[in-house]
Amino acid sequence: MPSEYSPQELMAIFLARDLQDGDVLRVGVAMPVVEAAVRLAHIMHGPNMELIFLGARMNVAHLDSLPMPAFGWDRRVVRWAESYSDSGHRFDRIKDWGRHVFFIGGVQVDPHGNTNLIGIGPDYHHLRFRGPGSVGTPTLSTHVGRYYIVLNSHSPRIFVERCDYISAYGWGTGGADARQKLGLPGGGPKYCVTPLCVMDFTEDTKHLRLHSTHPGVLAAEVQAQTGFSLATTATPALTSPPSEEELRVLRTRVDLSGMLRRSA
Amino acid sequence: MPERHERILDETEAASWVHDGMTIAVGSPAPMMLLRHIIRRGVKNLTVVDSGLSLDLLIAAGCVRKVVSYYAGGGFGVPVAPSFRRAVERGEIEVWECEEGILTTGLQAAAQALPFLPWRGGVGTSLPEINPDLKLMQDPIRGETLIAVPPIKPDLALLHAATADAYGNVQHCGGPGWLDLFLHRAADRTLVQVERIIPNEEVRANPWATTIAGADAIVRAPYGAHPFYSRGCYVQDNAFLRTYVEAATAAQTGKPESLHQYLTYYCREPATHGDYLERVGIKHLLGLYEY
Repeated sequence: MPSEYSPQELMAIFLARDLQDGDVLRVGVAMPVVEAAVRLAHIMHGPNMELIFLGARMNVAHLDSLPMPAFGWDRRVVRWAESYSDSGHRFDRIKDWGRHVFFIGGVQVDPHGNTNLIGIGPDYHHLRFRGPGSVGTPTLSTHVGRYYIVLNSHSPRIFVERCDYISAYGWGTGGADARQKLGLPGGGPKYCVTPLCVMDFTEDTKHLRLHSTHPGVLAAEVQAQTGFSLATTATPALTSPPSEEELRVLRTRVDLSGMLRRSA
Repeated sequence: MPERHERILDETEAASWVHDGMTIAVGSPAPMMLLRHIIRRGVKNLTVVDSGLSLDLLIAAGCVRKVVSYYAGGGFGVPVAPSFRRAVERGEIEVWECEEGILTTGLQAAAQALPFLPWRGGVGTSLPEINPDLKLMQDPIRGETLIAVPPIKPDLALLHAATADAYGNVQHCGGPGWLDLFLHRAADRTLVQVERIIPNEEVRANPWATTIAGADAIVRAPYGAHPFYSRGCYVQDNAFLRTYVEAATAAQTGKPESLHQYLTYYCREPATHGDYLERVGIKHLLGLYEY
């Protein structure tokens, strides 16, 4: 009988399983699920991963625990870094970003995985909601080998037929060659992970497809919370629940304060 | 026999370099002592190259007309910096929409006196539509689509660092601040506030540690980045920043009293940095010591 767990814990565990040893993981601000996922993967199967929090690059597999959060530029974070680069410098070896992995959020996501951090409203000069801005997501999503769209909630307000603005280009208007046609070298979004489900992209049209629902969530429920038709497979899978070991490591060595349980 | 000029200013002289309508670039950690002086003097219509909560404070205080920003997150559970969000939604300030790579590219173009530099990140996005200064171009070598980023040229870069000598040789502690070197290279003039002014001999003992050679002016500012961190000295004061974020968030929903109070008590009333530090309190400041 598996333990109780929160959707956020399951999201972190799903992501951690998909990260490969040797990946270079670039983590931005305000994404606790991702911060937990990269630490969990690093401890469980990724001693050669590199974790880059903003510009602080670390390998901390030797530590007993990797508590969260660890953001900011002061010594509390930088003490773990082996090297440390400032904005711009960290965009200096883009040619090697094929093995880099990135995580991206958004206030809107469209059927082809384009994302919006700019704002909501038809008139750019009178936005109904002003978002935080693109951060580095246009450049990172252009170049990294793969990235994950990770969202704290799943609703028709977020999953829209058309983003009011696109700050990171996923698969444009669709098609497996969409990125190639624009000359974008990176591999594009791989999965979109939410508290309800995991989605991937159809191979030919690059349309969001239901990959697996989280235990207890019905496919119809996911569709009802999505503002466009999701592609489906014949038999949508169930996201594998956390193992006892995954939960134990997550709770005792990563998320010591229970951040991912509280946000449930 | 003429002597080498010292470049040390006092805080009031330094702050008087900032005039209405200028383009200023704010380093990270933000040089808060100088920013508080700007607020106290009621400088208006600034174009500000900055991100995060220092930008938000300048907006809250009514100093800003236009922002060049790739990120204005709030932190502390607030996804968007509250005063930024409110001012943009009401059309009170203009945004020069960009992202990190485009910003550094524009700063680099300014530094190298070029009409533009190309950048790929942003191709396919809305950025060139909502910022008409960004031009899609065909590269003449391989014919690829890229973005031509024009120079971003601040009149003045305002930075915070650990130490500098009297001649403008700046030595950050533990590496230069986020974007600081880009801002310095691009700006017409650079003004750096430092925790400590050190003798020129100390700089010459370790010239490799000099991060900025020839800042135009240096101002002494112990605890001058508070409530942000200063590497080698103190960590970020999250409790204090949370107070600001809460006050600014309340102002967003029609309750401006605590934000007014914050601006008055911490930015407008203290005539000097010393007066500000007295209001924060020595015990509180010592509690932020790095180790």
